[in-house]
Amino acid sequence: MKEIPPTEAELIQRAATGDSDAFGALVRPHLALFHNGINRILGNDADTQDALQDALMSIHRDLPRFEGRSRFSSWGYKVCLNAALMMRRSRVRIHDMERPEPLALGPFDERGHHLVPAHLPEWQEEARAHNLVERQELRECLTRALDELPDSHRIVFVLKDLEDWETEDIARHLQLTPGTVRQRLHRSRTVLQARLRTFVLGGRP
Amino acid sequence: MTFMPSCRDVQIELTEYTEGVLPMSRRIGIWIHLLLCKACAGFLRGMRALPGLARRALTPPEAVPEAATKVLAEVQAALKQQTP
Repeated sequence: MKEIPPTEAELIQRAATGDSDAFGALVRPHLALFHNGINRILGNDADTQDALQDALMSIHRDLPRFEGRSRFSSWGYKVCLNAALMMRRSRVRIHDMERPEPLALGPFDERGHHLVPAHLPEWQEEARAHNLVERQELRECLTRALDELPDSHRIVFVLKDLEDWETEDIARHLQLTPGTVRQRLHRSRTVLQARLRTFVLGGRP
Repeated sequence: MTFMPSCRDVQIELTEYTEGVLPMSRRIGIWIHLLLCKACAGFLRGMRALPGLARRALTPPEAVPEAATKVLAEVQAALKQQTP
């Protein structure tokens, strides 16, 4: 007779009492999610592995306090993002505290109005971009564009536009003012939009 | 700064505009500008489309990276050592 696999609740209970096999069985289905969430924030493999290790240890340590109000994967994912932020905070640089210069996509005339409106991105074609989304090229273009953002900007874009955090939460976690978070977010969005617009319109980035 | 902002001003302040943190007079100025300026309205559409586009494009692959599996094995080994 085929053995019935343990439920997630049973695995949590067993893992919380020190059963490392149960812990592995509990975490393994979500490992790609956890790893990639951390990697988006840290952007390099060595730090990602260190933060993942910290996060898995934290998950194990805090399992007895997990009350099951959210799904285990959501709770674990939050622990992973926090581990990534802690790791990042330990290597924060002085210039991270600077506010970026405003950025806008020109060219503009002397009064600050668009000089050549016809050459500006027309995102009415965004539906076409959605059809392209599955394509490896777009993924590569976005990944490359994200990699080119300064670390201090990429993390803000990831937390706000990919992870859907509130601006105030991002500011608190990164120890920035909400105004600086918005500035960095806006600069990131502008740079990414500039990089993607030709792609969306069918050209080359 | 005049009541009707320029395209450059609008672009620079769009994130603050969408988050509703600008003073009312400035918000109205940008709102009117966006009604009249096709280019800036397109920029705003692009800004709003970007998160969805990025989320869909950057959906993590299903396969677990080998490095992550290795980290889990190390954590499990450490847990085994901790358990009396």
